[in-house]
Amino acid sequence: MDRRHLLKNSLALGSLVGIGGCAASPPAPATVPKAASSLPAADRMPPLALVRAHTDRLFDIKVCIRPFRTKGPNLDVEHIGDTMVVHNYGHGGSGWSLSWGSADMAVQKAMSVSPKQIAVIGCGIIGLTSAITAQRAGAQVTIYTRELLPRTRSVRANGAWTPDSRIALAAEAPANFGATWEQMARTSWKNLRPYLGRAGNPVSFTEHYRLSDVPPGTPTPIDPNLPPLPPQSWTGLPTQTADFARYEERIHDLVPQPEVLTADNNPFPVKYGTRTSQMFFNFTEYGHLLTSEFFAAGGKIEMRDFHAPSELATLKEKVVINCPGFAARDWWKDKNMMPVRGQTGWLIPQPEVNYAMTYRNVQMLSKSDGIMVIALEYGDMKGYNDSDESVRRAESERAVRVIEELNSRFQRA
Amino acid sequence: MRQKWILAVTAWAMASGAQAGTWDGVYTDAQAERGGVQYQQRCGRCHGANLAGTFEIPPLVGRFMPYWSGSSLDVLFDYIATAMPLDRPGSLGPAANADILAFILKANAFPAGTKELSADNAALKAIRFDAVRPAAKSRRGNNPR
Repeated sequence: MDRRHLLKNSLALGSLVGIGGCAASPPAPATVPKAASSLPAADRMPPLALVRAHTDRLFDIKVCIRPFRTKGPNLDVEHIGDTMVVHNYGHGGSGWSLSWGSADMAVQKAMSVSPKQIAVIGCGIIGLTSAITAQRAGAQVTIYTRELLPRTRSVRANGAWTPDSRIALAAEAPANFGATWEQMARTSWKNLRPYLGRAGNPVSFTEHYRLSDVPPGTPTPIDPNLPPLPPQSWTGLPTQTADFARYEERIHDLVPQPEVLTADNNPFPVKYGTRTSQMFFNFTEYGHLLTSEFFAAGGKIEMRDFHAPSELATLKEKVVINCPGFAARDWWKDKNMMPVRGQTGWLIPQPEVNYAMTYRNVQMLSKSDGIMVIALEYGDMKGYNDSDESVRRAESERAVRVIEELNSRFQRA
Repeated sequence: MRQKWILAVTAWAMASGAQAGTWDGVYTDAQAERGGVQYQQRCGRCHGANLAGTFEIPPLVGRFMPYWSGSSLDVLFDYIATAMPLDRPGSLGPAANADILAFILKANAFPAGTKELSADNAALKAIRFDAVRPAAKSRRGNNPR
């Protein structure tokens, strides 16, 4: 980020905000007035619609436990009797992003014994993409699951391209995991391409504005009124965001990178910021599309809840791809699984809002099924070892008010 | 003489593999009532006061049955004891878990009996979790027609 460039333009930005004075004025229009710009016409910002950020427009709040695994996702193969089990779980906050690449790796292992039939356990995004990938490799697939996609933890996630969000602890990931991660990320990126541009925008790009009152490189101050993180209830790592593994630099050639906001292209009354084109997932459309694909290729779904790993040996399929998500902690007794709680608040959808924003530790992402608002303070430590899936409304209301306050600073006409 | 005959038949029946099932009255009403109090305090917040669950959280009645019946009661008990409640798994003791299981059985219309449900693994393993009341057995033991 170019600090000099930002500072040089902050005065210009200040004068932009100052236009019109402080006199009483008619109610603000829903769009932001544009200043004269020196940028080429194609790169200037179109007017942005504002989010109607009021707590009484919160019509849903979802809570999700991320299936975080300290050693990174379990991709091992094991045998239960003469049944081959290919594990594919523990993707933390990166499941939607890495799904196709992880599925590809799992299916390569599964197909190594040339099965005609493959069982997939679980119908979240990992299970569904594993099942479709197995079908594309020529197998007949049955998904065994206790919930269909709309009632899995997957659809309680954020749902943007976040391929290294809580994917492993840096100190516990296997030595070669970076390379594995990169292969997953690149494969996923390519596999997502056919879903771009479809009706209903199952997979789409948005402009994500990351705004800050403090210069880049300075940590965002945490609201002093926020409750502190609870005391650590686990031994050892992690103790801070830096303890989580980071790999996204490996794909800087692939993924759009941030550009610095200047007075010419910052539509917000906030001094500093970047803008990044970010891929995200509209769960309803994307989920429906994937499920339809699975059935169109002859897939079957059987509703079932497994209680012990030994039960897999009773399936007619001798090759199983195991995608239970967080349930692996209890079902497979995987002690490396740690719950990381996340909560998303949902404001009534506004299709005219076509961007995302992060400001003062609050994130907003406008999706087809609502405007998602997330409280992000404390970074990757937030929600760690918290498996309480009940709603905390105050958290979402606080986040909405941050956006409401920002919007109140927009210039009246 | 009659007592010896009954004992002999019972022993023979048990040797044939006849077990108690959830329709045989494997908990008491008093135990289920204790379990209900525990349930509302520790389980009801997520699974609902009437065990109906929510969109995100599974119910403990209705479609709960096909997922959990068909084996023995130790399977469900072990799950509750190690994985529940979700926010503090394993925080309830064996007696509380047995009482809560009794409450869940009652909520699923299984009849009460005169003996409390034990937390002992072997005892629970010996109780079949039958969704549907099995057909009446002949007096010679486990020999359905």
